[in-house]
Amino acid sequence: MADQSRSTGWTIVARQEGRDLWINGRGPLLMFAFSVLLSVVTYVTASNLVLNFLEQREAVNLVLQVAVAVGVLVALVVSADGISGERDRGTLENLLVAPVSRRAILAGKFVAALSVWFAAFAVAIPYVWVLADGVLIAGPALVAGLAVGTLLAVGLVALGLLISAVSGSNTVSLAVGPLVLLASFAPTQLPRLPQGWAGEALRRGNPVGAGLHYLSAVLVDGHHWTRDLSYLAAPVATVVLAGAVLVVAGPRFVRLTGGVSRE
Amino acid sequence: MTYRTVVVAVLALGLVLLPAAPASAQAPQVQVTLAQREVAVGVGDRLGIEALIVNAGDRPSEPLVAHLNVATLDTGVYVDLEDWTAGPTQGVEPLDPGGSTTLRWVIQAVNVGRFNVYVVVMPRGGVAAAPTPLTASPPEVVAVAGRRTISAGGALPVALLVPLLVGVVAVAARWRPWSVR
Repeated sequence: MADQSRSTGWTIVARQEGRDLWINGRGPLLMFAFSVLLSVVTYVTASNLVLNFLEQREAVNLVLQVAVAVGVLVALVVSADGISGERDRGTLENLLVAPVSRRAILAGKFVAALSVWFAAFAVAIPYVWVLADGVLIAGPALVAGLAVGTLLAVGLVALGLLISAVSGSNTVSLAVGPLVLLASFAPTQLPRLPQGWAGEALRRGNPVGAGLHYLSAVLVDGHHWTRDLSYLAAPVATVVLAGAVLVVAGPRFVRLTGGVSRE
Repeated sequence: MTYRTVVVAVLALGLVLLPAAPASAQAPQVQVTLAQREVAVGVGDRLGIEALIVNAGDRPSEPLVAHLNVATLDTGVYVDLEDWTAGPTQGVEPLDPGGSTTLRWVIQAVNVGRFNVYVVVMPRGGVAAAPTPLTASPPEVVAVAGRRTISAGGALPVALLVPLLVGVVAVAARWRPWSVR
């Protein structure tokens, strides 16, 4: 009976959150902006003859990487609004007095934020499909993109919810998640990474950068999908660490006031 | 001493010293060969170039540098080696007499046309500083075929239709004619 009430609790929260996200317009508007971005990237990729270096597999890889990176970033931002947003809007109190556990609240919000990634991926499918026409990599590209993107999205949504729960305000929460991600991603964009362990650590340490590197290795370099699995260590570590903290300690952070101190 | 005597003496000296000439021939002789003679690929493809470096001399070689190069066989095609490979140069440790090593490069064919890919081996201190001469491998002919299947015309309908459809869904979700509040 208790199990049934728990599962009903999180599905109710997930349904409500999903309705708020997708019916009230925020989700579709985000997806509209996302589709415009992918349209621009796809059209420039397909039409710019000057970009001679863009072999077709690289073009597919480029669009898929943009889709994965931006898709999971949007999911992170939505999850970062999960608890702190309710606090700022004054609606968290209503949620806390509802007959659902705090873990169920987190689970429902987690599922709703994760749905943003799956919607983004669904929007990206036609772009990847049209660019991959003729080189027979649409299938592998979509499978690899879905797998890596879902792994990243699960970890980052869990991280976003944690940040949201402990943040003092929604502004802080919305800023910290992407900032942490960008701060660790920026060094990997240096024109010349340092050689040796330092460069390798920078390449592999950022979950998004490492995940995108794995996609390139599979799609452009033609590596077997098992060869560069070590690059997925950072995304897996993010899922395990953020997921574990969210499951174990997350419910304690779902309070009317932000911060990590005990009530 | 007559002029003839001098000439005979010089010739005799030359004959005596002649056997010393092979001393320079005994210097390490490095040979380079590539695994393939010819390959055909499409533009954008990556291909592996494998070079076998053998010390055919009777003395250990000095540390060497192996440099891969790409030369066009078609006039009017500009080859920028950096586009083909980010690391054209590799070091080779000293090789014992009869010893060999295999080096591998993965290069990307970024131009359309016919190209000679070859590897040059030279002493790490420079050709002038060491007895090993600069040695080049026979070329591997790389024929790169054009392939442009990305079409702006094909991408345009998708680039226009997807945002249109998503936009219609977004507007409909905001307007919600079916919704009862």
